[in-house]
Amino acid sequence: MSNQSLNRRDFIKLVAAGAGTLASMQVLQNLQVSELPTASASETGGSPHKWVMVIDQAKCIGCGYCTHACRAHNDVPEEISWNRVISAGKVGDKEIFLARPCMHCENAPCVEVCPVGASYHRADGIVMMDYDKCIGCRYCEVACPYGARAFNWKEHTEPNPDVPTWGEPEVPRRPRGVVEKCSFCANRIDRGLAAGLTPGVDEAATPACVNVCPVGARKFGDLNDPASEVSKLLANLPSYRLREDLGTAPRVHYLPARTAVSS
Amino acid sequence: MTATPLKRSLPKVNLFRLWLLLLLTILVFGVIGGVIVLSKGLVVTNLTDLVPWGLWITLDLSSIAMSAGAFLLCAVVYLVGLKRFQPVARTATYIGLIGYTMAVLFLMLDIGRPDRFWHALVYWNPHSLLWEVTMCVVLYLGVLSLETLPILGQAPWVQHHFPRISRQLIKVHQLAPVLAVAGMVLSMLHQSSLGATYGVLKARPFWYRPDLSVLFIFSAAVGGVSLTVLASMISSRLTKRVHVNDELLDTLAFVVGWALLGYLYFRFWDAFSMTYTYAPGRTEGLGLVTQGPLSFNFWVGEIFLGAVLPIIILLKKRWRADPVLRVLALALVVGGVVAYRWDTTMAGQLVLLTYLPQEITARYTSYFPSLIEFVTAAGVVAYGLLMFTIGVRWLNVVDHRPTRHEEKETASVAQPVPTPAQ
Repeated sequence: MSNQSLNRRDFIKLVAAGAGTLASMQVLQNLQVSELPTASASETGGSPHKWVMVIDQAKCIGCGYCTHACRAHNDVPEEISWNRVISAGKVGDKEIFLARPCMHCENAPCVEVCPVGASYHRADGIVMMDYDKCIGCRYCEVACPYGARAFNWKEHTEPNPDVPTWGEPEVPRRPRGVVEKCSFCANRIDRGLAAGLTPGVDEAATPACVNVCPVGARKFGDLNDPASEVSKLLANLPSYRLREDLGTAPRVHYLPARTAVSS
Repeated sequence: MTATPLKRSLPKVNLFRLWLLLLLTILVFGVIGGVIVLSKGLVVTNLTDLVPWGLWITLDLSSIAMSAGAFLLCAVVYLVGLKRFQPVARTATYIGLIGYTMAVLFLMLDIGRPDRFWHALVYWNPHSLLWEVTMCVVLYLGVLSLETLPILGQAPWVQHHFPRISRQLIKVHQLAPVLAVAGMVLSMLHQSSLGATYGVLKARPFWYRPDLSVLFIFSAAVGGVSLTVLASMISSRLTKRVHVNDELLDTLAFVVGWALLGYLYFRFWDAFSMTYTYAPGRTEGLGLVTQGPLSFNFWVGEIFLGAVLPIIILLKKRWRADPVLRVLALALVVGGVVAYRWDTTMAGQLVLLTYLPQEITARYTSYFPSLIEFVTAAGVVAYGLLMFTIGVRWLNVVDHRPTRHEEKETASVAQPVPTPAQ
């Protein structure tokens, strides 16, 4: 009796295992034929644009103008830097700098972990903050590999020393208790597009840090437009992104200093 | 003759009042600290953008862990069918309710916008572990409250003054099996997703591993049961209102001993697996714990006092039978779980990885809580102790004699009825 039932059970197991193997082979075959969908295709579905920034380390002189312009235009308090410029060692005799805005990752850990969806992807790929939703749990800060996020530990009521020298605030100050970060000057992009301008070409539609750079180390534009400057730069020059090993797929690309020095 | 009972009762009342006074004093300081935090913002803490999570999160995780006795004992009673543990489960449920409300208080201090605490319930991001954690907290808090209603209904004071309400409240007990199963699911989910909250972050190599959720739930189960037994034993020592069944508590303490051994085993492999990875930041994180600033806390607090010593005491029958040694061992287990939460929270954040292109190097930062963080934390702990004191004194939460209702149930499934300790 028990033998029989065991046999029957074994038989069922065998059949199930066989069917499973067949099914998985089928799936594997299908995989070989069809192409895997890419994350970027689905993310930028609602927008014809794919905004990227290209920062040329061969040109960057570490003057920090971008940080000041960013502070003024986005009314960023002194303790916070949406856009940081740090020393990145030397190539030959020349000191190299790394300017670090928000990377606007295609696979953004901050967007994944935000419990209330206050960090989110816009249709054009920009990682945006909804300051009215943010509860200030700081999970995104812990999750960001680039240290691009800052928390408002207190209410910032002090005057902004970079206004009006470096520009006028275009967005409201963030309240106490929320996390803030670089937005690729999304407000300038939106306003510029509405006025028929091209971000990356017309200054009024381009991020403040790109406009102010005295050596033209920063370029901004649409990667979906093959004629844009950023598309051409990335097509013709070697470039890299920060911590690509993490799989975050940043939208900020760097042109390394090495090429400029050796050429 | 007449003076003796007076003499005997006088210091006792005073001690109880002194205890209440102490708790209330700490609570008042805590409330003052809380008001300062809420009015000035988190600038009064020593938290930074590099270490955004500190003492409060550690204690929040610990209070949740200490509530795990509720789901474990409910599983023992309603799934395994060991009905005789039901009265202990009642104590654990009450402790669970206290633990969860403590966690909510810690969270309200810790989030930047406590006025928006309800956002996670309205604006869902189901992909976020913290969203899931929030839902678990809210739903499980509801379950725990429902589970506690019959305890409130059975309180003599309520029965005397509001007999109708009391009867309605006791009726909720009929839902107990359903609530127990729902609570178990929520609580288990919650404990493990707290580990996963850290475990999914690739930016923090010391955290980024799947076993954190396993270790969190394992340690929570051990710590939660320990606290339940510990609290029952201490209150039975201090007041005659409490009726514990030492046979049950002894069994639970024995189980804690073995579970702790199992936990230590997995903990060893967890740590060992991090030694050879060469993943930037991971080995450094382990170094902080085993050799760096956290090493004393780790070796002495977590491993020796928090695990090895209590394992020996709780598994040795004669030592476990000694109430002082048993209480000591269980208190050490609770301390060890808090130490584990602290070490984990810190080690993940104190190692910073550079994102420079040449190479990924580890840098270190530091954090020590500010006075106001300590004061408010003490306030929340005092609130917890006060709630438990109220439960023991007026709500009869530590009464391990089976109630008439439970006695009937126990008899019907033909379980050996433990003799009530009179």
